[in-house]
Amino acid sequence: MDRHSRSARVVRRAVPLASAALAALASASRAAAHAGGVRSATRETVTVPTWLFLATGGAVVGASFLLASAVTDRAYIRRIDTWGRALPDAGRAARVLARGIGVAALLITVVAGLFGPVAPTENAAVLIVWVGWWAAFVLSAYLLGNAWPAVDPFRAIAGALPSLDRPYPERLGSWPATAGLLALVYLEVVTPMADDPRLLTGLVLAYLGVSVAGSVVFGADDWFVSADPVSRLLAAYGRVAPVARADDGGLRLRLPGMALTDAEWIDGRDDIGFVVAVVFVTTYDGFVGTAAWAGVARPLVEAGAPALLVYLLAMLVGYGLFLALYLVSARAARRTADTFLAPGELARRFAPSLLAIAAGYHLAHNLATALSLSPTLAVVLTSPLSPPATIPVLLVPGWVGGVGVAAVLGGHLLAVWVAHATAYDLFPDRLQAVRSQYGVTVAMVAYTMASLWIVSRPGGAPPFV
Amino acid sequence: MSRDDASADAASRAVDATSRAADATASETGDSGAAASAPATGARGRPAAPYDVPPGATAFTCSRCGRPFARERHRDLHLGQVHAELDGDERAAYEAARDEEADDLRRFRIVSLGMLVALYFGFLFLYAVAG
Repeated sequence: MDRHSRSARVVRRAVPLASAALAALASASRAAAHAGGVRSATRETVTVPTWLFLATGGAVVGASFLLASAVTDRAYIRRIDTWGRALPDAGRAARVLARGIGVAALLITVVAGLFGPVAPTENAAVLIVWVGWWAAFVLSAYLLGNAWPAVDPFRAIAGALPSLDRPYPERLGSWPATAGLLALVYLEVVTPMADDPRLLTGLVLAYLGVSVAGSVVFGADDWFVSADPVSRLLAAYGRVAPVARADDGGLRLRLPGMALTDAEWIDGRDDIGFVVAVVFVTTYDGFVGTAAWAGVARPLVEAGAPALLVYLLAMLVGYGLFLALYLVSARAARRTADTFLAPGELARRFAPSLLAIAAGYHLAHNLATALSLSPTLAVVLTSPLSPPATIPVLLVPGWVGGVGVAAVLGGHLLAVWVAHATAYDLFPDRLQAVRSQYGVTVAMVAYTMASLWIVSRPGGAPPFV
Repeated sequence: MSRDDASADAASRAVDATSRAADATASETGDSGAAASAPATGARGRPAAPYDVPPGATAFTCSRCGRPFARERHRDLHLGQVHAELDGDERAAYEAARDEEADDLRRFRIVSLGMLVALYFGFLFLYAVAG
């Protein structure tokens, strides 16, 4: 559900508008060049051959594993893991305020989406969903803490309705959330959802409908904790953040990512499937914008295969590959670490570390969008139905693209450390703990190189759809 | 799910009767071996006992919590880290295992330092040639 390619398109549309209205034509088109974000910035800054760029990224992760494995003091690792401070809980007023903001944002989205201007950069619905929510709010979920349960307007509305309280089928587990997440990203890729406010509003209303139905049948708690893809996604990102809810219910400040060493919330293969889906969707969204994908898809589409089917197949095959790579690499620890821990248990314990990687990707793909379009959002919000004629776009400096590359690497480094701490928690022998990470480290190197490759390709709109 | 049950069976078979009796007391102290005593019975197919001892493999079982290990050294280290009040033999075994672990770690550090140096100079070379 990456906004990168689409928001780049949004910005490209903004340019002629802005240039017609403004004398500041030059700065606007430069903004557009930069709002291309990570891809354009890396194109400018990377002067080494692509293979060397990728190899360096992979080597940084590999070397960081070697460096982390030099830290062998159990007490020290645990101290980093458990360091924390209790934080005062947000008061009732703050909770009511958050709920109000959430519901108001949904209301504005629907009204502006249905009756506002059609141009995406002038429409509050498009900007609220893609800039305010997907770029900025999700960013805050893993950089600060997940406030979605407090804000969630879908839950506020659905929770106000009576429920039949049917028991949620346990065997479904997280698979509905995984399917929902993949479906949302699929729709985002194959439909012009960033360009068409009406379509976007239709999806938001449909999502509200599904949430209300699910909540009425199974009860709000069961639905939003287990099956709602957006709540699950933000909860997963929130585990990377320094501020999280502790077991006793109070807010607690920890070192970033250290909540990921706790895998109690991962109950089985379904939850592992969800975590891998979170990592996969950003990669998928980036990949379908590359020329390599066009090269793969063109013969198939020209041979008469429906483009929608080709995209669906690519998504399912890609997701299957990601999941298989992770499960195989976690299973490899059985051999490398010489342990009798079950393969499922190993996969379960190492899975949360992948979320640090996902957060790094998300930052890389969305920071430029969040920065460049947030003034646009602010100005459009002042008058959602008839926005001012001149709409500002923040000129994002080129180094922001470098921050994206650093975020991809930073996410992986955090993941390596989380895996290290997890291994120390699992294995009594420290050498065994080091060896248990061989498999997941190889998988992380593979993910890093794949995502850096996508980030270094010139991006574009997905073809044929 | 039946697979998990089978693995749980295998694990419990590896546990002898005395250790099963001690199970309850050990689960209180579980810490770095917390996974061993994870009380959560799988809500959705999560293995109740997260071990899978291949048939025919020798398992060194912790006498307190029943966790099976593939090597004696792992079991001895586990005893010292997770369970308090070791007897004389266990204490001696733990200390011997720690010495052995420290030796292996030293060897690993030297190898990993070598790999870091090789990576560093390898990339220095690559950048000089290709960059």
